[in-house]
Amino acid sequence: MSETSHYLQITIGAVLVYNFVLARFLGICPFLGVSKRLDTAAGMSGAVIFVMTLASLITSTVYNYLLKKPITLFGHTTNLDFLQIVLFIVVIASLVQLVEIMLQKLSSPLYRALGIYLPLITTNCAVMGVATLSAKSNYSVLDSTIFGFFSGLGFALALILFSSIRERLELSQVPGPFQGMSIALITAGILAMAFLGFSGLC
Amino acid sequence: MGEYLLAVLILAVIGVFLGCIIGIAAKLFKVQTDPRIELVTELLPGVNCGGCGMAGCADFARSIVTGENPPNKCPVCSQEAVSAIAKALGIEVGDTVKKVAVVLCGGDKNQEKVENLYNGVSDCVSASLIAGGPKSCAYGCLGMGSCARACPFGAIEMLNGLAVVHNHLCVGCGKCVEVCPRNLIKLVPTETKVHVYCSSPEKAPAKRKVCNVACIGCRKCVKAAKEGQFAVKGFKVEVNYDSDNLPSEEVIAAAACPTGCLLTTQTHYEIEKNAGVEK
Amino acid sequence: MSSDISYKTVSFKGGVHPAKDGKSLSGDRPIKTAPLLEKYQVIVHQNIGAPPKLLVAVGDKVKKGQLLAEADGFVSVPLHAPTSGEVSAICDIPGPMGVPVQAVEIKSDGEDTWTELLSPLDWRNAEPQELKDRIHDAGIVGMGGAAFPAHVKLSPPPDKKIDYLILNGAECEPYLTADHRLMLEEPDKVLEGAAILGRSLGVSNVFVGIETNKEDAIAVLLKKASAYNVGIVGLKVQYPQGAEKQLIYAVTKRKVPAGGLPMDVGCVVQNVGTAAAVTDAVKAGIPLIERVTTVTGEPVKEPANWRFRLGTPIIKAIELAGGVASEPGKAILGGPMMGFAQKSFDVTIMKNTSGILLLDAKDVFQYESNPCIRCGKCINACAMNLSPGPLGAMIESEKFDLAARAGVMDCIECGSCAYICPARIPLVQHFRRAKAEIRRMTQNQKK
Repeated sequence: MSETSHYLQITIGAVLVYNFVLARFLGICPFLGVSKRLDTAAGMSGAVIFVMTLASLITSTVYNYLLKKPITLFGHTTNLDFLQIVLFIVVIASLVQLVEIMLQKLSSPLYRALGIYLPLITTNCAVMGVATLSAKSNYSVLDSTIFGFFSGLGFALALILFSSIRERLELSQVPGPFQGMSIALITAGILAMAFLGFSGLC
Repeated sequence: MGEYLLAVLILAVIGVFLGCIIGIAAKLFKVQTDPRIELVTELLPGVNCGGCGMAGCADFARSIVTGENPPNKCPVCSQEAVSAIAKALGIEVGDTVKKVAVVLCGGDKNQEKVENLYNGVSDCVSASLIAGGPKSCAYGCLGMGSCARACPFGAIEMLNGLAVVHNHLCVGCGKCVEVCPRNLIKLVPTETKVHVYCSSPEKAPAKRKVCNVACIGCRKCVKAAKEGQFAVKGFKVEVNYDSDNLPSEEVIAAAACPTGCLLTTQTHYEIEKNAGVEK
Repeated sequence: MSSDISYKTVSFKGGVHPAKDGKSLSGDRPIKTAPLLEKYQVIVHQNIGAPPKLLVAVGDKVKKGQLLAEADGFVSVPLHAPTSGEVSAICDIPGPMGVPVQAVEIKSDGEDTWTELLSPLDWRNAEPQELKDRIHDAGIVGMGGAAFPAHVKLSPPPDKKIDYLILNGAECEPYLTADHRLMLEEPDKVLEGAAILGRSLGVSNVFVGIETNKEDAIAVLLKKASAYNVGIVGLKVQYPQGAEKQLIYAVTKRKVPAGGLPMDVGCVVQNVGTAAAVTDAVKAGIPLIERVTTVTGEPVKEPANWRFRLGTPIIKAIELAGGVASEPGKAILGGPMMGFAQKSFDVTIMKNTSGILLLDAKDVFQYESNPCIRCGKCINACAMNLSPGPLGAMIESEKFDLAARAGVMDCIECGSCAYICPARIPLVQHFRRAKAEIRRMTQNQKK
């Protein structure tokens, strides 16, 4: 496999075929929670892309240089692979926290745009998923950073599509029992079915 | 055994390390925010109704702390909450009078004539833009429920073609007052027991022609009540809501209102409720 | 018609062709002058802008043409007595919008004596300002329907250069023929008024736009137009050809920007009736106390155009037209597309009452609106390039901010979308509500 097709596979796979929301069903909570209006969805998308990229970079570094190979400490040689999930949680949570603190000081317009969404993402399964998936696929640091960025992009695509549909839905006369979250869930299901059409692309 | 210890050790080291970084960052990048804003936000009801004119409770809290608004501008807060906020900030507030909305019209479907066929959007604002609405009285409640839809607390019920406020649900935010195209809704002190359910400024014969329960300005209630409890405005009588002594329920019996537009909130509600049931 | 007449036919994009034209009911009959009535109830606030200040009290004797109220501010015009007599009451009467309005009731003394009129002006040599003052003093407003004070339109701010004056003789509303008859019977008055208005603006491009279904009027005006240096433009028969912005686009191909005024593209539009009133005011000093109004509709026995004085109750107007032959289902002031349904026959004729239309009870039917079927007919019909259907949906779910962003404030309420809608959605009613709500919201924000 050539270099180009390898990256193409990662990017197209992350955005369309194995879309985090619509194919892997990860990160459904913010997907339903902040998709009521297009502008908040756009803000959330920005935050997710940002955090996913950063989290993949850090977690893959941790994974590749700390957990992957057995290490020898105090005379014991152990494989620390089993610490993966716990470590990722700790690293991602503190990363997001750190970013939030720094953003508030350094760039207040960006903080106001992303700030309220950052704590939401801290414990998001999509971010956790991106880290474990790239660990499982044995991606290098560069690979997983690209994977993280494009996964975020895929999340953004799904979120923005969905919120646009929901804005239109608000103008329609929905039968009583389907109003609110139920029609949103039905729509999300249909959207997921539509994304099924991408399967087999790579 | 060593493996477990190692795992705990590594996690502890990493945890302490990251904790230190965050701790240092928090010190380094500290942003001054007024802790009082958070305190006040917690004391506010948090329903974000916008009755104060700000974008929400947090925004209102900020404006209280900066002194833009007094805490008693919140229409939803109880007296205790307002004084708690005032105490926390160390400022003085005057007494707030808790207010509720009242729709001053008694012209329900049975009482008021509807001469005109209206075949349009079921909304008061829309209806009032077409020849002033279908009702014959140009000042009566149109009964299409714009106020009920505008109420964030579900305190207004449409009964028999008339909007009726449930006092126990109303917080006095004034959303309905803004929306009503006929300007029938008034914010009055909660203690008010008695209202004159008519807002038409027209002369008595003109009113009687279109409505059975109009205030004809006979002033029987004015005579029956104490000085200053009612105010005569043009051709109609109104309860003087600003006065310190609001009329008591006994006034109704003493006045014997000939048209029956002088009612307590409770009887008014019951009349409309039962009228709807009979139909 | 004769083939030697020459004019170009122009139009705008969008619009509808109302199925029932109804113009033949009253269009062939000459204008009649209404006899003197016993009493007139003149509504005080007849213009857009500030209401004029009343000068008379109950019991005062007034003469025909005497000031009843004086202008209060720039966007305001004075009001004159329609006949001589005594002010018998100042009372509230039903207004055309359904809300009671203040009116001066004048009991006629039967003599109909004129007050001392303003001196006639030689308009060809008069200063533009002099002409504008006279138009203001005569109480002239836009007589097509809006009742916007005429002198305000003639006084653009100095940074707006006006190079077109367009006289609106389109009369695109079905049933109405008042402007048609006026142009046909008094072409000199209309053309001279156009020339006077042109002089007061300092504009040499003066055009009269007429829909081509009024070929006789076009022929008459074409014969005389050159004497007054006025051009005649034929307009395609299409509703709403007579709407200000559509007329400007048809004649000059200029587009009035969203939220803008005709003066932003160097145009001023006046109605032909206004022009005739201007001629009277300038050449004879006669204030605006009467107007040509169409009394028409299938139930009316003798539909025709009448010269009514201000303050004539519409019930009297209908009686003069022979009363009704069948039961009317609806009474409308103005045309069927944009007119206002009335609930009282005591409403009186105002400066902008272009027609009194009675619709037959069998033509007025009740219906329910159905869900939008997304046929897009309303989008094709919209003369302002809006999307009425989606806008209506936004307003129905009370998303007024969205509607404002989608341009609901640019809607001219011509009614084309609601007319064409197969689902019978009351779109214009939605838009009027949204406009009222948005205006209220912006006012609240200012507070």
